[in-house]
Amino acid sequence: MGVSGDEAASGNRAVSAKAKPLGLLLTLVIAIVFVVAIGVLFHERTYKSPSGLQVARSVGTVTVNGVTMPHVTLHFATFPDSTGSVNGVAIHPHGNPSWPVYGMTNVFQVPAHALVTVTVNQYDSGGSLNNPWFATVRGTVGGVMRVDGRLVHAINPNATAHTFTVRAAPGVDPGFFLNVPLPAVGGTNQSDNGPHHTVVFSFISGNKGTYAWNCEYPCGTMVAGFGGPMGTWGYMSGFLYVV
Amino acid sequence: MTTTATPLLEDTPLGPEAGGLYRHQNIVTGMVAGIVLAFVGWLISHALLQGSNWGTDMVVTVTMTCWVIGFNAGIGTFNGPFRWLTDNDQTPEDELYAAGVGQGAKRYWKFCTDHKVVGTQYLVLVMVLFAVGGTLGMMIRTQLITPHSSFMTPQLYNTVVTVHGMTMIAATIIMVTGPFTNFIMPIMIGAKDMAFPRLNAASFWVVFSAVPCLLAVFFLGGVNAGWTTYAPLSVQDPPAMDTFALTILVFAASVTLAGVNIIVTIVTMRAEGMTMFRLPIFTWGSMLGSALGLYAMPAFIMAMVLMITDRATGTSFYVAAQGGTGWLWENIFWIMGHPEVYVILIPPVAAMLEVVVTFSRKPLFGYVIVIAAFVAIDALSILVWAHHMFTTGWAPDLSGPFMLTTELISIPTGLLFLCIIGTLWKGKIWTRLPMFFVYLFLWNFIIGGVTGIYLSDVPADGLFHNDMFVTAHFHYTLMGGAMMAATAALCYWFPKMTGKMLNERIGKVAFWIIAVAFQVTYLGMFWEGFEGMPRRVAYYDPTFLHANQMATVGAYALILGWLLLLYDIIHSWRNGTPAPANPWGAKTLEWKVPTPVPLENFVVEPVVTSDPYTYGEPEKVPSAKPAPEPELIPGGGGGGGA
Amino acid sequence: MTSGPTVEAAQGDGAGVARGAGDAEIPKPLFSRPAGKILVIWLIFTAIGIVLALVVPKHTFPPMLTKEGDTGVTTVIFFTIMAAPVAALVYGIAAYSLLAWRQRGQRDEPPEDGPPLRGNAPVTIVWLCVTSLLCIVLLVWGLAAMAADNQAPPGALRVDVTGQQWLWTFSYPGTGVSSRSLVLPLNRPVQFDVTSNDVTHGFWSMSLGVQVDANPDVVTTIYATPNKLGKFTVQCSQLCGLYHSFMYAPGAVVRPGAFALWLYANGASLRAASLDAKVKMTRADTATGQVTAAVGATPAGS
Repeated sequence: MGVSGDEAASGNRAVSAKAKPLGLLLTLVIAIVFVVAIGVLFHERTYKSPSGLQVARSVGTVTVNGVTMPHVTLHFATFPDSTGSVNGVAIHPHGNPSWPVYGMTNVFQVPAHALVTVTVNQYDSGGSLNNPWFATVRGTVGGVMRVDGRLVHAINPNATAHTFTVRAAPGVDPGFFLNVPLPAVGGTNQSDNGPHHTVVFSFISGNKGTYAWNCEYPCGTMVAGFGGPMGTWGYMSGFLYVV
Repeated sequence: MTTTATPLLEDTPLGPEAGGLYRHQNIVTGMVAGIVLAFVGWLISHALLQGSNWGTDMVVTVTMTCWVIGFNAGIGTFNGPFRWLTDNDQTPEDELYAAGVGQGAKRYWKFCTDHKVVGTQYLVLVMVLFAVGGTLGMMIRTQLITPHSSFMTPQLYNTVVTVHGMTMIAATIIMVTGPFTNFIMPIMIGAKDMAFPRLNAASFWVVFSAVPCLLAVFFLGGVNAGWTTYAPLSVQDPPAMDTFALTILVFAASVTLAGVNIIVTIVTMRAEGMTMFRLPIFTWGSMLGSALGLYAMPAFIMAMVLMITDRATGTSFYVAAQGGTGWLWENIFWIMGHPEVYVILIPPVAAMLEVVVTFSRKPLFGYVIVIAAFVAIDALSILVWAHHMFTTGWAPDLSGPFMLTTELISIPTGLLFLCIIGTLWKGKIWTRLPMFFVYLFLWNFIIGGVTGIYLSDVPADGLFHNDMFVTAHFHYTLMGGAMMAATAALCYWFPKMTGKMLNERIGKVAFWIIAVAFQVTYLGMFWEGFEGMPRRVAYYDPTFLHANQMATVGAYALILGWLLLLYDIIHSWRNGTPAPANPWGAKTLEWKVPTPVPLENFVVEPVVTSDPYTYGEPEKVPSAKPAPEPELIPGGGGGGGA
Repeated sequence: MTSGPTVEAAQGDGAGVARGAGDAEIPKPLFSRPAGKILVIWLIFTAIGIVLALVVPKHTFPPMLTKEGDTGVTTVIFFTIMAAPVAALVYGIAAYSLLAWRQRGQRDEPPEDGPPLRGNAPVTIVWLCVTSLLCIVLLVWGLAAMAADNQAPPGALRVDVTGQQWLWTFSYPGTGVSSRSLVLPLNRPVQFDVTSNDVTHGFWSMSLGVQVDANPDVVTTIYATPNKLGKFTVQCSQLCGLYHSFMYAPGAVVRPGAFALWLYANGASLRAASLDAKVKMTRADTATGQVTAAVGATPAGS
């Protein structure tokens, strides 16, 4: 229908019988390899915590309220920045050295329905929480924690450095909640190896699944204090795997 | 038969200096110049500004701006204006060179003012953007295949969601006006090219230069705020937000330039006898879609400029603690955002109407009604934006009025459906591949449109806002509707643009995979929404598991369908049956010119005596005015031989 | 359209004779005319739509616990029923076009032309009127539902909702209780005053039929009246950063007595808890875990 221009010369190659399926296969393979490669890249380059997973150490069993359960321990610290190191190991390599950070890792693993005793060394300065509700200890055994040996159930909301606030992924364990405020180090010589508070608390882990924890003290950048380290995974936030 | 005496314009021999600087410029020089200027910009801004309060934001903004300027300088965007300003305007020979004469396939890698080259460049860019956006979509669905997947960190997930959204929005905005309005519309109206051919090429390369700015988001900390980047969250986001904002500025500028070009072309460059009401409906749709874009894009630009100043210089337009409000962002964004979906929708629907006409062999039912519907949609879409904000608590008293205007938009949209089915009515339905996508559009857009009406109702919106229901709704309208209409347009105009016929057997297999997989994916998503799953989440309650599995499986199948179509396009483009000039027996002007279309389209300028919808009507008696003799009409610009 | 001297083969506008209505002298029975067959297809699609409207929401939505939630679901069902005939008409004609007007066996050459139907004023006007009427019906329904939802009866329970990255806290003014769980008493209107401490969040519970954004430095308000007992989840609906997916709060609608006990367990005084719950709770009740006085009774000395 109608008239075409000069047609004979251009691209009128006969297509071999094999070319089509091979071409199709090639297209699919290249595309799938590309998509999978991007997926692998996304997973490997970003998912793992820079310092790996801390699996809670077992210290036997214990009976709480008449129920016998495993007893495990975790240790971490809150540092004002990551310029220092602990026992020769850099605190948060490849990160922003000026940002406060939980270390040595932000990803923990504990067994389900176990008593987890956590020891935190808190090196950072602090200030006022934007919501004093988080200055109260919630979700620990007895609703208390030990700060430098003293039992308390809340701290001064205006002298808070960080909080360790944990909830489960949706649907895993809606009733589980843990909030442990960490008191600030006063004065001016805070550093990664300087004076610190030692906070010890115990909680009973919930159902198996992924739990997310983050700090609720706005120690980040920008107006509300929730930018920078507060909004970047790995500094003031992490995961707790209950297995 | 062409009169053999007239030589083709594209065979004009040019002197060795024709084109000036263009001779040495192409995409490679553009990239080199862009990288060099970006590096210089980074050096200077880093030295001067780093360490100041918002130093990183300013450095990123300056660096990316230098990339855009450098790239465009390197590829030749500024050559034309620069020479005009310095009284050294381009000669006709230079313009012929710029139109691609004598360069063969290399002209596709250069700044080329031939609207057909620009259209083809846009087509490839759109396909690349869909590939990128589609890959990111696969990442999202893979994360959501189990409720608490460890595939991506929440931060990366949020960034993927953001970039997926923005890539797809950008791709769908230009998916018809880029390739088809550029390539087909000037021929359709009897013109030699666009009104501003250099601006046309510029708008393409400007969009091209925005793409690395968008992809840089992944390397600068990611954007956590979705493509809607609500403040104040986006104000506190990492520096990736600055390059995101710049992407928008550049993209919106390009779309605005292109829109102006399209409108001026249609208004001023129609052939003799082509009155406004003899224009094919695709032309009207391109014009009215672009006109709406001219209204919407500047709002986006303004919103992003204020975002950049908030982030990089400490202003507080959007920060409540310092006297601003996030509601300002939301309002300006949606003032752009709602018209923008009609900018996305109207050109593909108009293109699809041409397909319906040709494959029903009937005139367009209600030509003037369709135009009136487009105008009404344009006008009303300016007044509905706050239906995206019913739940913000911003202005509860305005919920009623916005509900009214939003429900009113369903009336002109309904008229479009009337005209489509009126065109089908008693037609001779020729079920070739383009027509398959028309029927899929009808199925999908009804579902998408109706579910939009739920969202326009305030009490129902309270249930569904920011729920996966919304995501399913806009995928049904934008992908199931607009993108299927655009695919119909692609299958329709493929023979004219590439000179080859698209293989229909493969195309139909791809169609069925896409059609079925689309329903599985997005009906699964509606199910997620009904169950109460919020959107933009990387972890969800296990009660939503089955719905998510359905959506993910559907998505994997859907991508296979699109890949099959992509293979069909590439394979047919390279090895397909050569296409005749008018394989569909259509009546619009682009089918009257030979394939491949010569430079400046018409050997002899056409004189139009009727609209292109004369199917079933007796041949019109030619007017008393005789057709002008060929020698009296210039055969095109430039010295065509002796 | 004709171009200049370039002559195309005459485009056989072929069967240019229009084949519109009125070509048959004897009126055909309804069901063998196009309109009749389309009517059948339309009825089938409409029936499917109505069945879906009545079945799908009820089986997929979470249980609705408030009057507002019920309104939302009823709206969805009603709108679907209203939309079904419109969708069915488009689907019906599209399907019929493939059944009756498709040119089978036609591959490479375009078929002959169809009738030159450029428009039909009566059809267009009827269509316009029907769609406008539908629009008005939906609008009126929406306005009525909105008016019913936006009421703040006196004596409503007040709950202050605070969102921040990435947790919800709820306080009950007058009792001193602040919790990350939202517990509400049955059959009592609630006024939620919502705000944020940092970025914009979305206070959303589908079961409660409420959604309003939490904006920094601003208080937004929304109302609900729980009318069924049950559990629900408050979920942040506005993307708020890293742990948006984790920003949920468990909730429950409980009897007023249980509500008073819960307030007391969370630190309220006996009196404040009783006042807020509008029950008369005694110290003995706190030991047994059951409030025995009638609902609505006010404590002595209030």
